[in-house]
Amino acid sequence: MTVIDAQGLVKRYRTGGQTLYALAGIDFALESGEFVSIMGPSGSGKTTLLNILGLLDTPTEGTVLLEGQDVTGLGDRKRTSLRKRTIGFVFQHFYLLPTLTAVENVEVPLLLDSDPEVTKRARTLLERLGLGDRLDHKPDELSGGQKQRVAIARSLINSPKVVLADEPTGNLDSETGRQILDEFRRIADEDDVAIVAVTHDDLVNEYVDRTVHLVDGTIGRERKNGG
Amino acid sequence: MAGRFFPAALMARRNLTRTKMRSLLASLGIVIGVVAIASLGMFGVALQYSFTQNLGDVGNQLTVYPNSGENITELTERDIRAIRREASPTATVSPVKTRVEPVSYNREDAVRETIYGIDNPGELYTAKEGRVSPFRTGALVGSDVAEEHDLHPGSQITVNGTNVRIRAVLEEGDPFSSTNPDNRVIMPAASFSQRGYSEVYITESTGTRANETAMGIRDSLNEREQRVFVQELGSIVDTIEQQFQIINTVLAGIASISLLVAGISILNVMLMSTVERREEIGVLRAVGYQKRDVLKVMLMEATLLGFLGGIAGVILSVGAGLAINHYAVGDAMAVFRLPNAWYVGAAFTFGVLTSIVSGLYPAWKAASEEPVDALRG
Repeated sequence: MTVIDAQGLVKRYRTGGQTLYALAGIDFALESGEFVSIMGPSGSGKTTLLNILGLLDTPTEGTVLLEGQDVTGLGDRKRTSLRKRTIGFVFQHFYLLPTLTAVENVEVPLLLDSDPEVTKRARTLLERLGLGDRLDHKPDELSGGQKQRVAIARSLINSPKVVLADEPTGNLDSETGRQILDEFRRIADEDDVAIVAVTHDDLVNEYVDRTVHLVDGTIGRERKNGG
Repeated sequence: MAGRFFPAALMARRNLTRTKMRSLLASLGIVIGVVAIASLGMFGVALQYSFTQNLGDVGNQLTVYPNSGENITELTERDIRAIRREASPTATVSPVKTRVEPVSYNREDAVRETIYGIDNPGELYTAKEGRVSPFRTGALVGSDVAEEHDLHPGSQITVNGTNVRIRAVLEEGDPFSSTNPDNRVIMPAASFSQRGYSEVYITESTGTRANETAMGIRDSLNEREQRVFVQELGSIVDTIEQQFQIINTVLAGIASISLLVAGISILNVMLMSTVERREEIGVLRAVGYQKRDVLKVMLMEATLLGFLGGIAGVILSVGAGLAINHYAVGDAMAVFRLPNAWYVGAAFTFGVLTSIVSGLYPAWKAASEEPVDALRG
């Protein structure tokens, strides 16, 4: 099933008298359970594409369908509640709230809903990610890999259809990076969640189903893994 | 976990503990503001209270004077009868004659003094030494006169060359009352040669009655010409109390400047906090927090700062109020009177409101940042 279908994405910025193309016409579709990496040099538009797919940003031209629904022209409020329902985010710098424990951090996206089931679910997720003994630790008591696992658990708390990861292994050594990528692979396979990872790290490509290369805002060669 | 029910409060509280010193200093401003407003307000109340205590019951007293502007220098027996008719049956009406005579105490040189002539001083005064009634001869002196010239019952003074015996030294009167005898020499009205009266004291049972009597006297005596002035001490008291009200308001206004400063410091702290937590707030927005959710969390922080400072301020204010009332009124427990509660409550409310208002702009700023910009780092 196609989770995200983006057609003819263009993102233009006007700076001074110049027009800058961050994206210059991109088609991108994502099936559920698919693990895709987006690679490309700095300034190639990777992050812009990720932001548009994650409904954090809107394209200048083109359409985005999320589970078949056109979400291109939606306003901030609707995009925000769609993000909350269907999308999970993982960041290079983890961005955990330093004042909250691991469990509370995982609960954050649903914290304001006062749903008593959330805590239980957060614990289960952390246990699944091997952090059963770190539930009540604050982020500064966790290693980089552990922090990223907490962040992954957070991205899964709302049972998303898509998880978008921006350089998820960027701040980790390769050993820890592999563990994190294993987790992603497992989540994609077991939970049928589509995962998009923007990365510079070639290591990622050993785990993904396919890699999309971006060059100057357009799609370069695409490589399918395995088969 | 209380955060279960107030998740925004949980996040806000944790965020404040992150920079404990800064939060503490920010709410210290609120503490100072609340204490300043509350204790200045209570100081005013205590001042007013001790003033009213000194005034005693002058609110039910009237004094009627002849209107010298219309060339009326004294009140006649007919005026007195009219006044007695207007006064209620329970009231004391004391007509007073005055004359100025050379008076000599203890063989010193004579000085010109006003002598008050009253027939029934027992209605108005009680004796500290000696006896007031019956009063047919001799003189009564107020406590200040007695003290100055060392007079006691039985002492002699000379009034216009005649020896007069002191019958009694009078009890101190209300300092604001026009009947206050402290500086007076009083002799029987019968000993006066003039027939008219220079003033009439009326003491009614209540302030309202006094007011009605005052209106009645004005109606009947001032019908054709402005014969008399009626001075109501109650209305003077009202005027003075209004003055106190103004003073109190000004004091509270000055105190609220400190709250303004506190508000600015909270604004500053919150702005710093939003800058420092830019990415975190961006993440919150990314994972599905609406703008108003972020607004809620940030405002909750400001509110908590205000509550913290406000509660500490109230506790300190009550302490300050105990001290103020102990020294100004002589009764520390007087702090638990209603007007004080009003000032403390108002100070607390203003403290909390100040911090919420100060939090508005930073909260709005945090909430309206685009998550894309915030997360770009």
